[in-house]
Amino acid sequence: MSATMSLKDDATPSTGPLLSVEDLRVTFQRHGEKPFTAVDGVSFDVHPGQTVGLVGESGCGKSVTSLALMGLLPKRGNRVEGRATYEGTDLLSLSDKEMRDRRGRDIAMIFQDPLSSLNPVVSIGIQVTEVMERHQGMSRKDAMPRARDLLERVGIPDPNARLKNYPHQLSGGMRQRALIAMALACEPRLLIADEPTTALDVTIQAQILALLKELVQDTGTALIMITHDLGVVAGLCDEVNVLYAGRIVERGDRHRLFARPRHPYTHGLLSSIPRLDSPRGEKLTPITGSVSDNLPWTSACAFAPRCSHALDVCRQESPPWEWESDGRGLRCFNPVDPEEVRRG
Amino acid sequence: MADPRTSRTKAQAGDVLVDVRGLKVHFPIKRGVIFDRTVGHVYAVDGVDLQLRRGETYGLVGESGCGKSTLGRAILNLETPTEGTVLFDGEDIASLKGETLRRKRQHMQMVFQDPMSSLDPRQSVESLLVEGMRAHGLDTDKAATHARLRELLQAVGLPPAALQKYPHEFSGGQRQRIGIARALSVDPELIVADEPVSALDVSVQAQVLNLLEELQDEFGLTFLVVAHDLAVVRHISDRIGVMYLGGLVEESEAGELYDLPLHPYTRALMSAVPVPDPVLEDTREQILLTGDLPSPSRPPSGCRFHTRCPWRQPTRCDDERPQLRVVDVPGASEGHRVACHWVEAIASGDVDRHEVAAEYVGSGDATTPADDGSPFGPASVQEIG
Repeated sequence: MSATMSLKDDATPSTGPLLSVEDLRVTFQRHGEKPFTAVDGVSFDVHPGQTVGLVGESGCGKSVTSLALMGLLPKRGNRVEGRATYEGTDLLSLSDKEMRDRRGRDIAMIFQDPLSSLNPVVSIGIQVTEVMERHQGMSRKDAMPRARDLLERVGIPDPNARLKNYPHQLSGGMRQRALIAMALACEPRLLIADEPTTALDVTIQAQILALLKELVQDTGTALIMITHDLGVVAGLCDEVNVLYAGRIVERGDRHRLFARPRHPYTHGLLSSIPRLDSPRGEKLTPITGSVSDNLPWTSACAFAPRCSHALDVCRQESPPWEWESDGRGLRCFNPVDPEEVRRG
Repeated sequence: MADPRTSRTKAQAGDVLVDVRGLKVHFPIKRGVIFDRTVGHVYAVDGVDLQLRRGETYGLVGESGCGKSTLGRAILNLETPTEGTVLFDGEDIASLKGETLRRKRQHMQMVFQDPMSSLDPRQSVESLLVEGMRAHGLDTDKAATHARLRELLQAVGLPPAALQKYPHEFSGGQRQRIGIARALSVDPELIVADEPVSALDVSVQAQVLNLLEELQDEFGLTFLVVAHDLAVVRHISDRIGVMYLGGLVEESEAGELYDLPLHPYTRALMSAVPVPDPVLEDTREQILLTGDLPSPSRPPSGCRFHTRCPWRQPTRCDDERPQLRVVDVPGASEGHRVACHWVEAIASGDVDRHEVAAEYVGSGDATTPADDGSPFGPASVQEIG
């Protein structure tokens, strides 16, 4: 097991990005309705071995981004534009057949709800070996011991017995582990985790996060972590992208981003969540309004109606993406002054 | 119309409003087509003592399946207790029936988790709010009712125009405000809020949390907040009870619980909550629990937590169920109670942490109930969905 899971020799950061997403745009168009742009020009790079976080609230486009990258959006009723270059090939231009060959082998995905992503009438063992049979041409007989090793690797107790179990016989945490085992079966170089712990209890969440962290370190797999939980991001991600209404509004190294958030949305999010370690009785500072109070990005800043820092210009022009001197990216006309930040 | 609030003035803040003694709520697991055999029980709440004082916010935390929602519902007499009593204002509510019980309900209201499914989509906000008032005879005078509605909406931060609208026209946070206004409409003394913010977006949660705090200050309400999010509970609660598999394992004043968590489960729970601070996340020590929550239909013997406890000892833990008791630990106050045999030794460092091997816990297999837990899965009946 240790040989197959060892650090891959090509996982050095100097080789350039593993995946480069440029100007990704996903538009949903239903017959007779106005088109809705769920993802509006998102660009980011993922380097080998790196963990990149996409954070945002419901409707910010974080999940649609991952589905578009995996080619999992329905063919009808939507338009995907832009480029997603994975080792020289544009994933978005691949045919269905070519994408199927890559999915699970080069890029794997872990979903939020393990019960609905596992087949309820097929045993765990067969679901894990299936991936290896499809991509590596292994026979089921050869793949089964490896499936057992994978289950053991992700911390499932008594893996031999679990191979014969069906998803409903496992607990939520165990199902998520089985899903991770499936994702790792072909040693993908990129793993996309879409809210992998949201359906789980907090003590189980801690177990799964520790497991993901360990796997990323051991195998050199790059990870795209999609979540709404800033706490999860703080412990796991190297680079954090904050999304609002389909665009990245702030990007930075996690230490800088959390210590000195510059975008009013990031800042607002951080001061609106109750923290376990903050003094009690401290009043929370909520962001006013709700996620649906948006302006269109084309002619304004979408966050302006809820922003405590909004200027007139924010409602009249679309803020451009700018790089700050500390390597952080920002889309804001009137960013938060670092001095003003509560936790400096 | 007599102002119902006047009756409250004779009661002092700090009095015990709700007194729960030895409460047990067990749900039978039934099998068979012709004969409804009972093949086992889900021990959702299994022996809980709890006092809610007037004017305080009591937070109940725990993971899914620990019985926290069932306990909240049992306090409102929405579940029939299998054993034990719930005294509301000195009166045993389980013994109340029919009209007296219905009248009593005016004083205890509930705010539900999902505002979309707890509000009738075909009722306007006005009719939603008036319905409860009418049921309790508070809607006698049109002008007074109208004034009261405006007052309610103002209290929860909604515009007066909201009265003519329907639930689907509001955002999640606003719907939760309507749910809170409905609970307030009959001027209750106790509000049980079951996961009041977990269905809301992060940026909106703070709005509702602040609202709950303001309302308490304004109306002198007693809150029981049931939630799985420790940070949320700690933020709004005066006292916190931590539940594990149907029983309270630790109870303390909110600040002290964070500074000095004593029960091994509380310590693990605290350390598992991710904090949005990379420096802290990198440096703090995490107590990772192995394995899953055992099924509440087959709880472990002795201390319920012994199968996952990193401080489990060879004696007592496996066969003797610890009671909630005041502990002799430096820094722990009078009201800090812990259900652990070894808490003093753990706190002083005499007992060391050790590795725990994960045990397989099935999610419940419907065909073999006696062997593999309840058909309800890891959660108790009331907590599904």
